[in-house]
Amino acid sequence: MHIAEGFLPPAHAIGWTIAAAPFVVHGARAVVKEVRENPESTLLLGAAGAFTFVLSAIKLPSVTGSSSHPTGTGVGAILFRPPVMALLGTVVLLFQALLLAHGGLTTLGANAFSMAIVGPWAGYGAYRLARKASGNLLVGVFAGMAVADLATYVTTSLQLALAFPDASSGFAGAAVKFLGVFAVTQVPLAIAEGLLGVLLFRVLTVNARPELERLGVLERRPVDEDDDPTPTPTPAPAPTTSTDGEVTR
Amino acid sequence: MTGLAIDDAAWASAWRPRAVGDKVLLSVGLVVCALVLPVWPGSLLVGLAAVVLALGPARVPARVFGRAVRLPLAFVVLGAVTAVVQVSGSGIGWAPDAAARGGALVGHALAGGAAVLLLATTTPMSDLLPALRRARVPGAVVEVASVTYRLLFVLLESLRTIREAQTSRMGYSTVRRSYRSSGVLAAAVLTRSWDRARRLQEGLAGRGMVTDLRVLPEVLPSSRVFLASTVTGLAALCALTLVTA
Repeated sequence: MHIAEGFLPPAHAIGWTIAAAPFVVHGARAVVKEVRENPESTLLLGAAGAFTFVLSAIKLPSVTGSSSHPTGTGVGAILFRPPVMALLGTVVLLFQALLLAHGGLTTLGANAFSMAIVGPWAGYGAYRLARKASGNLLVGVFAGMAVADLATYVTTSLQLALAFPDASSGFAGAAVKFLGVFAVTQVPLAIAEGLLGVLLFRVLTVNARPELERLGVLERRPVDEDDDPTPTPTPAPAPTTSTDGEVTR
Repeated sequence: MTGLAIDDAAWASAWRPRAVGDKVLLSVGLVVCALVLPVWPGSLLVGLAAVVLALGPARVPARVFGRAVRLPLAFVVLGAVTAVVQVSGSGIGWAPDAAARGGALVGHALAGGAAVLLLATTTPMSDLLPALRRARVPGAVVEVASVTYRLLFVLLESLRTIREAQTSRMGYSTVRRSYRSSGVLAAAVLTRSWDRARRLQEGLAGRGMVTDLRVLPEVLPSSRVFLASTVTGLAALCALTLVTA
């Protein structure tokens, strides 16, 4: 859920931009440091950003009938950690504003605060807690992705309530209004995104175990040297064909 | 055809060869006007200026522009209505001057949206990103954003192909299957993104990449006439709004 361009009054737009700036700068520093140490991570981080953008093109059937798209910040926070997501999320929001007319430039700060900062941090916290408490990766993933979504939606609603307090009941009344109106789409979406996360990680633990281990999501499995899944620096000897046509190594 | 209508429009736009700085000044100027000027007649003038410039001299297809302006409308209308509904002890009702406040919100949002779209539909992302580097955003960050932009289309293409294959195998025939297919789809796109990044990295390393993927930026000359008209136009717009309001 992105706040559209021009929707927030100027003072709020500036205020949220200032609030989001330190986190985004911190994320940018983390990225600059990472890239200086391993130049190849530029491409991996770019791939992560592109994946977060593309994830929002996946449509999930929702309980309320309409289909919604996942925000993708939860999965990013679990895979790449919240500081990096603060930057990647902001880049993705900029792309969504300019390529999809989703969100805006003056509301970029407010949207970054809810989607790239609060969402990933809350989601990551929930993921760690739930995973530790249950001892199960998938429980952690469900909690992380659902909470990232919910935290984003709650933050956006509070931002709107702060900008447009109710005429008689003030901020509290406005918060109830916005939370209530957007709950119709956002609460089912959070559950749907949690489920998508479980399905996604179930496939990843089978198909992309080495990558998950490298990212620190899974612990390295003690393996025998014979079936080490990571490629060894020395290339395997090419198969040679013996005289009777049988392929031998 | 890449699948992102706004990006396609930006590449095909008649304003594509204009300097990025010129277009940014115009669009950001209009965005700021839409935000700070009174909605009547400020937002109307900003919206009108953005639409006329985009469809006229910039030759953006009206269908693309119209559709993109309508996209955030659901959020804008729902948000505006919620903002002007009043909750009090006696129940729910319209706040005083609800229609005016709601209308002002929608007006600001539509005008601002159209002004951002004027930039989005005339300037491809690959022109904007080098401009960010000139604006002293760290090189590494711009680099990551550029890779994101370039991989985006590859991944969208993968997404579409895989989804088509899943659909033709009844992958979305029930809600349960839809979820399963979506999970597999997300996993496939993620592993493909890693694979693409690794292959790009190996290919670039083989060509001697040390730190970054710097390419020669295209030189787009700035036009004094364009800049002068922008400043004059924005000043006239502000003056007209403040006199009328």
